[in-house]
Amino acid sequence: MNTVVESASETLPVVHARRRDGLLGRFASLRFRLILSVALVHAVLMGTFVWEAVRDQSADIRAQLVSRGHELVTLMAVASTNALLAEDLGSLGEVTDRVKRQPGVVYGDIVDIRGDVLASSAPARVGHRETRALNVKDRFPLKPGDHVLDLSRPIVVAGRRVGTVLLGLSTRSMDTALEKTRDAGLLFILMALVVGSVAAWALSMIVTRNLHILISAVRRIAKGDLDVRVNVNSRDEVGILAQAFNGMVASLQRTSRQISREHEKRTEAERLACVGELAASIAHEIRNPLAAVVNAVPLLDSDKLDPEDHAEALNIINTESRRLQRILEDFLRFSRMREPQPVAGDLGALLEEVCQLFSHDPAVSRQVRVRCHVPAGPCRASYDPDLLRQVLWNLLLNAIQAMPTGGTVDVSAEAADDQVRVTIADSGTGIPHDIIDKVMRPFFTRRGDGTGLGLAIVQRILMQHGSKLSIDSEPGRGTRVTFQLPAG
Amino acid sequence: MGMMWLVAAWLVVLPAREVHAGPAPQPHFLAFGVLPLQSPTKLAGMFMPLVEGIQKALGQPVEFVTAPSFATFMKRVMARRYDFVYLNPLLFRRAEKAGYHAVAKVAREPFTGILVVRRDSPLHSLNPATLPKGLRIGFPDPNAYAATVMTTQYMKKLGIDVHREFSIKYFGSQNSAIMAVYAGLVDVAGTWWPSLRSMPPDVQKSLRVIAETPPQPQMAIAVRSGMAPERVRKLTHYLTSLTHSASGRRILQHLGFKHGFAAADDGEYAKVGQ
Repeated sequence: MNTVVESASETLPVVHARRRDGLLGRFASLRFRLILSVALVHAVLMGTFVWEAVRDQSADIRAQLVSRGHELVTLMAVASTNALLAEDLGSLGEVTDRVKRQPGVVYGDIVDIRGDVLASSAPARVGHRETRALNVKDRFPLKPGDHVLDLSRPIVVAGRRVGTVLLGLSTRSMDTALEKTRDAGLLFILMALVVGSVAAWALSMIVTRNLHILISAVRRIAKGDLDVRVNVNSRDEVGILAQAFNGMVASLQRTSRQISREHEKRTEAERLACVGELAASIAHEIRNPLAAVVNAVPLLDSDKLDPEDHAEALNIINTESRRLQRILEDFLRFSRMREPQPVAGDLGALLEEVCQLFSHDPAVSRQVRVRCHVPAGPCRASYDPDLLRQVLWNLLLNAIQAMPTGGTVDVSAEAADDQVRVTIADSGTGIPHDIIDKVMRPFFTRRGDGTGLGLAIVQRILMQHGSKLSIDSEPGRGTRVTFQLPAG
Repeated sequence: MGMMWLVAAWLVVLPAREVHAGPAPQPHFLAFGVLPLQSPTKLAGMFMPLVEGIQKALGQPVEFVTAPSFATFMKRVMARRYDFVYLNPLLFRRAEKAGYHAVAKVAREPFTGILVVRRDSPLHSLNPATLPKGLRIGFPDPNAYAATVMTTQYMKKLGIDVHREFSIKYFGSQNSAIMAVYAGLVDVAGTWWPSLRSMPPDVQKSLRVIAETPPQPQMAIAVRSGMAPERVRKLTHYLTSLTHSASGRRILQHLGFKHGFAAADDGEYAKVGQ
């Protein structure tokens, strides 16, 4: 089973509401929806009202016209009965003349039982056979383009039809009145639309003004300003929301301050613990060589010491002193690490250079084979050459030291998107699972001659470059370390 | 083969030709002219059932027609506008000259003229010695035979010169003249029994007959010369047999003729007007 150590940031589930930007987003705003809704309601209600009013008025006007027509045609029938029976064409003519003078009358004819026109508002028709239907439909609606309401009334005497009265009434004035009513209705709908929109706009301004204040406050909070408060004094839902919002922000601010204090405390505690641990590590590291030196120095003053032991004591003092010196230098390097100065360079060339140094080292090349895999062309990245050389040196040294009986180290670089990935894989002993998360701590080492600062320095340099070290190891089969640098 | 196509095409076109043949020709109406003794509507109410019956008997539509006045009616008669007419004996004599021939007359009822007054009138008889001066008398029309001509001649025989003793008014119809005396517009009205009987009961009760003329030949129904004999025969038969059926009696009830019609000829009216 591979073990991966990665300082990955914690991922939290976030629910993203669908956001519409631009013009669509503006149409999707609460204000627009409110205006649209109120305007539509106004238009629909007013439209329905106007439609009903126009329909009712239309029915009334039509009914009045039909009623007036029936009255006129009945009067004509009554007035013309005697004259019709007596074939008194002069009297019949007077009837049609008088009828014609009535407003809206288009024609008025009196027809005898044979269908002959005895009197007419159009004198040319008198004496001719009536060609129109005597039993007309005096109902609305009329045919399209027909603006004359035709009415007829049989003249009945003693139960027998002796003639027919025909009357045509113009519907022009009625149509004009209906058109006026309809136009007025449309105007009312338009006015309702405008008034409704303005009212809705004003209402939306009142409602959404406080919401906009809340939105601004939320944006300031998102930028880290927890001192923000909203000043909404309304008693509606938005006012309640604003109060809750202020309470929430105040609570958030308290929590944030508490967390900051806790963080400071923890950081201080960790810092003190780290200092203590570091001090203990330093003390532990220098205690043995210092003890060896302290024990060996008195031996040099002893006359009883034979030359061979004297030389051994001197050797111990020298060896342990150098060890002390190395420990202190590494520690100083670790603690005084300078800020990196990244420049764009050919990372492939640097890798080849470091690999070549190890390959030419006879102590290494006897047992370990170092292979370098870099792209054919320049593999440019942004890095501090000196610091990155130290990173590569430490990682290769660790890999070689992990293969006491020999093996292969593969160093590779590959460009991916705007990053360059560097991988160093060995076929060494690997890292046990129980310590893999400790190997990057300062002074942690499994070797007696190591200072335990190599990987700590590597991790620190990579962090300064905005990267981190990833370790994938399988005990008995090898370790693979990976880091990425921004492409140059 | 070509003939078959022609036949097929004709069969296809035939229905279309029938569809577009237009309205059926209007049947010929027989015009029944009735002397305007009453107002046209009232006259129509009296004669319309008879017209319906004649129409059924002849199998041909009949149109009831009257005229605004006696003079107009006679002008139309003289112009032979009517196929058959109902008119008084005096006017029949004139109609004869236009080719009309009497086929029926009102049966058994004496054709007399009567003079009526209001029931509360001081007039009870026509005595020239006691007749008040300046009386107003109403007639339907100067040519109303019973109501005007016969009553005027009757009063002349009694020694009363109507044109000198009375102030004369003509009201156009019998019922108008009757209503005039009922309303007090005139003191006396000349009319005849059928018209008086056709008035509402209240009006009849309010009036009183003070004189009746000697009888004359009755009102006649005359046909225009040239009418088919078979049609004339059917018309005469129908008129004279009205009393034989319930429906006929109802028609006579509308007319106010109790005994119906009897056959007549031109000779019965030869002495009228002499």
